[in-house]
Amino acid sequence: MAVLSIPVERHELDNGLRVSLSVDKTIPVVAVNLWYSVGSRNEVEGRTGFAHLFEHMMFQGSEHVAKNRHFELVERAGGSLNASTWFDRTNYFETVPSHHLELALWLESDRMGWMLPAMTQEKLDNQRDVVMNERRQRYDNQPYGDWDEYLQAMVFPDTHPYHHTVIGSMEDIAAATLEDIGEFFETFYIPNNAVLTVCGDFDPERALQLVERYFGEIPRGEDPPPLPGDPTLEPLIGRTVREVVEAEVPLPRVYMAARVPPYTDEGFYAAEVAASVLGTGRASRLYGSLVRDRRIAKDVVTHAFPLTTGSSMIMLWATGLPSVTPEELETALDEELQGLVTVSEDEVARAVALTETQLVRGVEQVGDRADMLSMFDRYFDDPARLNSEVDRLRAVSPGDLKLFTEGFLGTDNRAVLTYVPKGAA
Amino acid sequence: MAASFDRSDAPVPGPIRGFDFPPVAGSRMANGLDLRIVRAARFPIVTAMLILDAGEWAVDPTQAGLAVLAGDALEGGTARHSAAELAEALEGLGAGLGVTTGWDATSVTVSCLAERLGEALALMAEVVLEPTFPAEEFDRVRDQRLAAIQQRAMDPSTVAGDYAARFIHADGVPFGRPVAGKEETIGPLSGDDARSWLGKRYCPGGAGLVVVGDVDGGEIDTLVEGCFGAWSGTVEPSDSAAVTPRHERRRVEIVHRPGAVQSEIRMGHIGVSKATPDYFSLLVYNTILGGSFTSRLNLNLREKHGFTYGVRSQFRFRRHAGPFGISTAVETAVTADAVREAMSEVETLGKDGPSADEVDAARDYIVGIFPLRLETTSQLASRVGELIIYGLPGDYHATYRDRLRAVTREETAEAGRKHVRPEDMSIVVVGDADEIRAPLEALELGPVEVHEVG
Repeated sequence: MAVLSIPVERHELDNGLRVSLSVDKTIPVVAVNLWYSVGSRNEVEGRTGFAHLFEHMMFQGSEHVAKNRHFELVERAGGSLNASTWFDRTNYFETVPSHHLELALWLESDRMGWMLPAMTQEKLDNQRDVVMNERRQRYDNQPYGDWDEYLQAMVFPDTHPYHHTVIGSMEDIAAATLEDIGEFFETFYIPNNAVLTVCGDFDPERALQLVERYFGEIPRGEDPPPLPGDPTLEPLIGRTVREVVEAEVPLPRVYMAARVPPYTDEGFYAAEVAASVLGTGRASRLYGSLVRDRRIAKDVVTHAFPLTTGSSMIMLWATGLPSVTPEELETALDEELQGLVTVSEDEVARAVALTETQLVRGVEQVGDRADMLSMFDRYFDDPARLNSEVDRLRAVSPGDLKLFTEGFLGTDNRAVLTYVPKGAA
Repeated sequence: MAASFDRSDAPVPGPIRGFDFPPVAGSRMANGLDLRIVRAARFPIVTAMLILDAGEWAVDPTQAGLAVLAGDALEGGTARHSAAELAEALEGLGAGLGVTTGWDATSVTVSCLAERLGEALALMAEVVLEPTFPAEEFDRVRDQRLAAIQQRAMDPSTVAGDYAARFIHADGVPFGRPVAGKEETIGPLSGDDARSWLGKRYCPGGAGLVVVGDVDGGEIDTLVEGCFGAWSGTVEPSDSAAVTPRHERRRVEIVHRPGAVQSEIRMGHIGVSKATPDYFSLLVYNTILGGSFTSRLNLNLREKHGFTYGVRSQFRFRRHAGPFGISTAVETAVTADAVREAMSEVETLGKDGPSADEVDAARDYIVGIFPLRLETTSQLASRVGELIIYGLPGDYHATYRDRLRAVTREETAEAGRKHVRPEDMSIVVVGDADEIRAPLEALELGPVEVHEVG
């Protein structure tokens, strides 16, 4: 029996807004989730970080919703809400007790259709300060906090939209203007550039009427422009790129990254299983070797990023124990990467079993489930594909991993970023 | 753009669908183990959480960190399986084994597909009841913890939390130290110490097992009997030490980090235990002060002034009185302004009390959000686990929202005045002392002292 059999009903409004409805009446809560096809990859030179700053502005009110009112209304309803900006998309979501579904639709539609009249310089100044503090807190005042700035720049050329981070540079954040807000809104925040998912306890017929009422009259916009720069790129980096950073860090850490097929490509499943065999759990190769047997690492992490533009990225890191040199860590990581040409059936089965449990746990909450459905809608035009995702992972064989390893994990496709404690270099 | 209908008013909510906390089937095994089963069949998944009366509070101060380290070292192997074999067996089931140790308890948790529960539970029982703590594995886990302590020392947010705990509590109060201990107390620990700790604290008398998911109660009873039936022993009650403050009056402690771009701020004092009769009033009060996005602190420090990405306040309700505290990170240049504004919000709310509308909004928020946090098997398991850790009555969750709804404005104001005391706060700021000392002194909140990290 399939582990997941999430029902999905799909519609499209005349203005191009795609709508997925997924009913689950077990608990009286409902999630509303919107994915806009805009992220850091759409940012032009001199405006890095803008998509994220814009996301903050979306909470500053709209024509019929005063500043702070959005939060007040959702919290008072007993709901939770947030948004996040990523390379390829920006999502907005709230989960509310089910009798407040209409509130969530009203709020989301008001800022999709009527955001600009509420924008002021004062609000922009305020949120620029907030975002700059977010950057200080997460990147600048945090050991290893700037790793992705280095790694993205090493893996993706400066012509590619993934070359810069989602948070962007302080200089660019500071330079954002109200005119930028208006232009960005009109370009990307249009119904035909979004998908809407409603998941949880509701009546689908009634929900569709409400969606039509609140979103239906927002006019379709012009198709967004092509991505800036050059989104095409060679499948491999072509060499090993290195960078050593001496910083206020307690322990040495080595990051490695490689270009891998995009998330929307069949080849990505091997990357996902490889990341799991390497680094998920205590039976994984990196934990077994670097942490348990050789006792050179304090921790290891691997991650296959779900990115869609040209290439995606697999990333791993190992934090060294105090007496260990970065060279030892790098050699050990390299051995494990090369070693992936030989993987047993058991290891693949374990990796898939862990991923399966994670996948189910990842859709238990209606908010997370709605987000996954939006993602599959956005990237594959097929939200129900979520239900068969495990089957595609199960189909990955040791032979596929061998091909993947030979193709993508060699020294001709590698970024190595090393953090060395200040004074120890 | 003109709308075709009047969009100005928020829609009227639809009819409320009731929510009841799912039924909990409770029973006690002959050896004392408190078994609680909740059927939640949304997905074919299950979470089992074993709660042991083995919190860090009960650890002798000379061995601080032992409860945490012993929990970590459970992965080291048993007489039947090596560490690697255990990991392979569990992960082959798609099940990770998580061990969390806090001040009040150690929880061992496993989540997996429901059909694999039997095997997962047997492995969990083996890990908890038969660990051998081989020296090689124990030392490795200890070295990882020691490295983690080194790492903590460079993370400004963690440093701030650790210093706040130290400056709030008198010497000898366990809450004044980091929960995972210190280099000097962990360094000498061995497998023998872990064995001795387990002998005293990992006992079915005092422990509970919560199973939540797509399961059949009758089958679970049999399964649990098979896995945990032969376990025996009872935890001796530990001494109840008093939680006392380090200082009699408000002070400002600066922990110097030269060149820091932000200051990590903590403002707090000793709070109350989970058993306080003011629990529900304080939930409401804290929501208004700093427990929600629209709290007074966040609207001021973030949405009005842009000082920070966020600020929050929190009571740590534990078996013994845990601290109350405000935490935020702000740009260096506005450090004193942020402390002044935060202190002013605390004082104003204490003096005038919250408005009726604020109390209504906060109550509605906590009441409404209750089911949103009970969607997953692990959320439900944690909630049911609270009953065991804090000895709460079986109808606690069933009546939770009614008790919140009954909280009045007067009770909220009174509880706040009693338990949030601006004049008793320790204010800890981890930041560049050269930049922030003078402006903080100018606030005249109390004596200002500068400390070097260490």
